[in-house]
Amino acid sequence: MSRTSRRDILKAGGATAVLGFPAIVRAQAKEIVILGLWDQTGAFADVGPINDRGMRMALEERGMTILGRPIRYITRDGATQAGASTRRVEEAVDGDGAKFVVGPWSSGVALAVSEVAKRKKVVHLFSGGTEDISGARCHRYSFQWAASPYTAAKTVVDSFMKANPEAKRWHLLVADYAFGWSVEKYIKEVGKTHGLEFVGADRHPLGEREFSNYVQKAAANRPDAVAMINFGGDAVAGAREIFNFGLTPKVPLIMTWSSGVEELVQLSPEIRQNVWVGSNFYYTADTPGAKEFVKNYQAKFGNPPGYAPSAAYSMTRLLLAGFDKAKSAEVQDVVKALEGIEVNDIVGPMRMDAATHQNIRPYFFMRCKQKAAMQHETDFADIISTGDAPLPKEYAACKDIGSF
Amino acid sequence: MLYALMGLGLSLVTGILNIPNFAHGALFAIGAYLLATVAVAVGNFWIALLIAPVGVALLGLAIEYAGIRRLYAAGHDYQLLFTFGGALILSESIILIWGPIGSSYLPPEILRGGADLGFTMYPKYRLFVMVAAGVLAFATWLFLEKTRYGAIMRAGIENKEMVSLLGIDIQKLFTVAFGLGAYLAGIAGALTAPIRGLNPGMGPDMLGIAFVVVALGGLGNLLGAIAAGLIIGVAQALVAAYWTEASTVVIYAVMAVILLVRPQGLFGIR
Repeated sequence: MSRTSRRDILKAGGATAVLGFPAIVRAQAKEIVILGLWDQTGAFADVGPINDRGMRMALEERGMTILGRPIRYITRDGATQAGASTRRVEEAVDGDGAKFVVGPWSSGVALAVSEVAKRKKVVHLFSGGTEDISGARCHRYSFQWAASPYTAAKTVVDSFMKANPEAKRWHLLVADYAFGWSVEKYIKEVGKTHGLEFVGADRHPLGEREFSNYVQKAAANRPDAVAMINFGGDAVAGAREIFNFGLTPKVPLIMTWSSGVEELVQLSPEIRQNVWVGSNFYYTADTPGAKEFVKNYQAKFGNPPGYAPSAAYSMTRLLLAGFDKAKSAEVQDVVKALEGIEVNDIVGPMRMDAATHQNIRPYFFMRCKQKAAMQHETDFADIISTGDAPLPKEYAACKDIGSF
Repeated sequence: MLYALMGLGLSLVTGILNIPNFAHGALFAIGAYLLATVAVAVGNFWIALLIAPVGVALLGLAIEYAGIRRLYAAGHDYQLLFTFGGALILSESIILIWGPIGSSYLPPEILRGGADLGFTMYPKYRLFVMVAAGVLAFATWLFLEKTRYGAIMRAGIENKEMVSLLGIDIQKLFTVAFGLGAYLAGIAGALTAPIRGLNPGMGPDMLGIAFVVVALGGLGNLLGAIAAGLIIGVAQALVAAYWTEASTVVIYAVMAVILLVRPQGLFGIR
């Protein structure tokens, strides 16, 4: 009978080390490259840096590793332009080996990036107001984190009309690109159920700063409410001009799809009077995830997070949850894991619809506070309702998400 | 009228120095930020409106004295590059001093809200700006047309060498012209602050329109700048009433059409 000696064990161990260990070393060292496509120039130049903050926080929470492998986080400036964004994504995929893309911030640009994701077969997470990514142009590789434009419109119109049942004549100011068109469509659809009359709807280009002409027309229509479907600097400029014309606070202003903190901080308390705000995130959201994130963000940056860093943070956490569920960093495994995934994150419960890649999640509706009621200088608004009504099937344009 | 003020200041500098001043937009933005800063500090909009443009004029004088003057011998290319670099430095300085996030500054209490003009509502503050900018443009025109120094400036625009041969200190003329141009940019910015708020990108936004005004009015033609500013403003307002989406592009469309018919601009001779 042969006995295994200590020497034999050492030999076997040595052989294993020689043959197997380099492979383990190689596997551990093989980094996962994730691209954050955030605008540093162009119309959303002010948003890119705070998108980056949120994404970086989510990655740092996990020690910049996933599945035991290091994450290499790279960022590129999308320049708020489809041409620059698609080129830089292709360069990151081909040159840096990025297989996971988060961003950009503009819906119109994101649609172009989504096409690159489909062609290059890389995972793409995006948050914005266009319904096309999870609608007519849906495919297996792109996922929409933001609430669907229908969810947003339903939450805003239902909640506002509950508080202002007499305000039936609305004038719309709409950003003239994919996001504005999508939200406008559903505001009008949901508005029918409340008997709303849309006395005017003017579209303005992205980056508009001179709103006097638009507001003059709105004032001439004598609406019960003005609803803006625009974002960022456009929304700030529009709200300011509506106040200058003396419409607010007499006439309520609805900022349908707002970035929340980032826009409200640019408006003085006088301008915020009788302003109602819909947003994908507000920092007083009563969820454990939000409380923890807001606390950490404020400790790090000194101010509460708005929609931009929060979306980047939550999208990145969602992607990492996909890795965890898939137990793999292969693109198709992560896509399958993200389809139908359910997580409880900063906005509350979220479920990624497998059929459309649309995140089913709450949307927030706030009313801005009077100056005297503000507890501190960033105490802008109270959340008065949330809504998560998913897009009804009859509106769904994503009939077949397709194959890999 | 704000377009006219911006164009007037830019036209003055362009006419005398013979270079496009790319820093003009940044000076406009600094005027807006200075207004808000001084107004908050002293608690009075009107005092701030007096102080802020003077501050910008002093900055303009410093830029001319410390930089552009030293490049007159080096040629236009260097001056042009200097103003371009200066614009970037000033824009970044705004971010360093006042931060990257925009803010709002409200009009004084008496000018808040809209005035019912019978046929339309219009913000009281914008009505004030129309009058104030009109008075300023008229005062500038009076200064240039009716005073001895204004005549020297106009002569400097036409023929610098001749003015110099008459024993007039052309360096001083350049400095004063740059300072006056900066003042006009500064007061346009200060008047704009309650309308458009404050953000670091406001300078470049306005610079593009100012260049349109200068090109449309005729390079270096001061009356042309005022007329072009008015034409652009009226065209924009009229188009907005019937075709809102085209209210921005009309600025450039009007310029293109007029320059096709009169390549030298409305009042230009070169």
